[in-house]
Amino acid sequence: MADGNDANGTARSRLTRRALLAGAGGGVLAAPVLAQRLIGDGMIDLGLPGGPSERPLTPRFPGKGEMVVHRVRPPVLETPMAVFDQGTITPNDRFFVRWNWDMPTQINAAAHRVAVGGAVRQPVSLTLDDIANAGDHVDVVAINQCAGNGRGFSQPRVTGGQWGNGAMGCARWTGVRLKDVLAKAGVADGAARVRFAGLDVPMVDGAPQFIKSIPIDIAMRDDVLVAWGMNGESLPLLHGYPLRIVVPGWFSTYWVKMLSTIEVLTGDDDSYYVAKTYRVPTAPVTPQDKGFETVPITAMPPRSFITSHADGAVIALGQPLELRGIAMGGDAALAKVDLVGAGLELPCELGPDEGTYGFRRWSLRIPEVTGDLAQIGARATNANGITQPAEQAWNPSGYARNVIERISLRAQ
Amino acid sequence: MKHWAIILVGLLAGCDSRPDVVFADAAITLPDDLTELPPGPGRQAVVENCTACHSPSTMLQQPQVPRAKWESIVGKMIETYKAPVDEKAIPDIVDYFVAVQAAQATNPGGSAAGQ
Ligand code: HEC
Repeated sequence: MADGNDANGTARSRLTRRALLAGAGGGVLAAPVLAQRLIGDGMIDLGLPGGPSERPLTPRFPGKGEMVVHRVRPPVLETPMAVFDQGTITPNDRFFVRWNWDMPTQINAAAHRVAVGGAVRQPVSLTLDDIANAGDHVDVVAINQCAGNGRGFSQPRVTGGQWGNGAMGCARWTGVRLKDVLAKAGVADGAARVRFAGLDVPMVDGAPQFIKSIPIDIAMRDDVLVAWGMNGESLPLLHGYPLRIVVPGWFSTYWVKMLSTIEVLTGDDDSYYVAKTYRVPTAPVTPQDKGFETVPITAMPPRSFITSHADGAVIALGQPLELRGIAMGGDAALAKVDLVGAGLELPCELGPDEGTYGFRRWSLRIPEVTGDLAQIGARATNANGITQPAEQAWNPSGYARNVIERISLRAQ
Repeated sequence: MKHWAIILVGLLAGCDSRPDVVFADAAITLPDDLTELPPGPGRQAVVENCTACHSPSTMLQQPQVPRAKWESIVGKMIETYKAPVDEKAIPDIVDYFVAVQAAQATNPGGSAAGQ
């Protein structure tokens, strides 16, 4: 597990950067994606309005390639947007990382237990082998996206983690169904929610632990997992080894890492991270509004990105143009992607479907470029008919950004 | 040696509907945080009160916010997250971040790493 390749991390990061810069004249690595700019000296500019917008690409973390380093402790690492042009599965070494409280850096596998308790017939304490033997092994391709992904673009700006759009990734998760693990204890009558806790406990007395719960009907879904595998490898420690919860279609705040406790609740969850934060207004609000009703943030809306071209890139007048990117349906399958702009609405071709909750490639060939393409963006619609909006509804925590992300291309 | 063992388990498990999963002990060493808080009055108060739970970049990355917002952030750290903050240091901490953000505003892009 300890990949220990950080010893030569600095040398490697320099190499990578040089390779990227050398590629700037043409080829696959030609353009940094969207508004992101490598600005040399190990820094990247996320294009956050009003700043501060620059982030270091160092230090290297064990098992990680080049990442946008928002914070070393507890680790907060963002995937550079260029990674999303490379494929629909995000490699483990480029997958975003986010911890609220200090993370444990060591796991003793034989000693690890998952306590299943609360409203159950028989509380049990399960070993990792017990979990692996709890039921059929299931693979799910699903996007894990931070509720605050894109918060740094919020206007007006809001405090919190200042992400660009790279707090998302898509992986193949392997594990057993949560319902099979719950069956080891037997869910009692009156169960309303299932709550998860991990080993990342605050070191200060009385501080809220990062525990999260989901409704029982979600917990019983066939694709909600207790997972140990990520893209065919064991979960890296930074991603929650030995076990994490996977809730396809829901924001990653519920995907509790380093799982150690499963608790069945018979009523509402009044714990801090459900009752007080990770909540969104039930109706549109303005920055002046106070005391409005809120609900927990849960299912993800559709999103899409142009990954083939950077904002401001030059395209060849009179020539055909190939545009491509990635899209997601959120908590429902992706139905379609259109390229939209002033007076423009062109249906895009979709790539292979790797699962309802995964990224999907889209592409579009414009036969001839006849002029600049100003403020164009991909617009995803999901199977429930939900479409990305042209304007982002503001909320005080900057959650669930899914506005159409636009760029402009200059023809010459 | 260890790698062979894992491959062998993998082969044996090939014909089983429920392949063996091997859970090994794991450990990582996280890199040191080299982020520096920029110099200025109140810096010491911030080092002493605000760096136990998170790197300084948590603060340095925040967008321009008014003094009252810094006061409410410090209040949230104390009330919600139980940060052991010296009450007498609060005005110095707030002054420090107001000054740091004023300096950031004159530096387009403004590195959140404080480098
Ligand atoms: C007891 C631990 C602790 C201490 C000490 C602490 N904080 Fe925090 N702070 C937190 C936690 C937990 C978060 C939320 C972490 C996250 O979102 O990853 C946070 C987040 C923040 C944020 C991000 C904005 C937000 O509201 O989430 C800022 C800014 C911040 N802290 C400033 C401070 C300042 C200034 C101090 C010193 C007065 C301080 N912190 C001391 C625990 C602490």
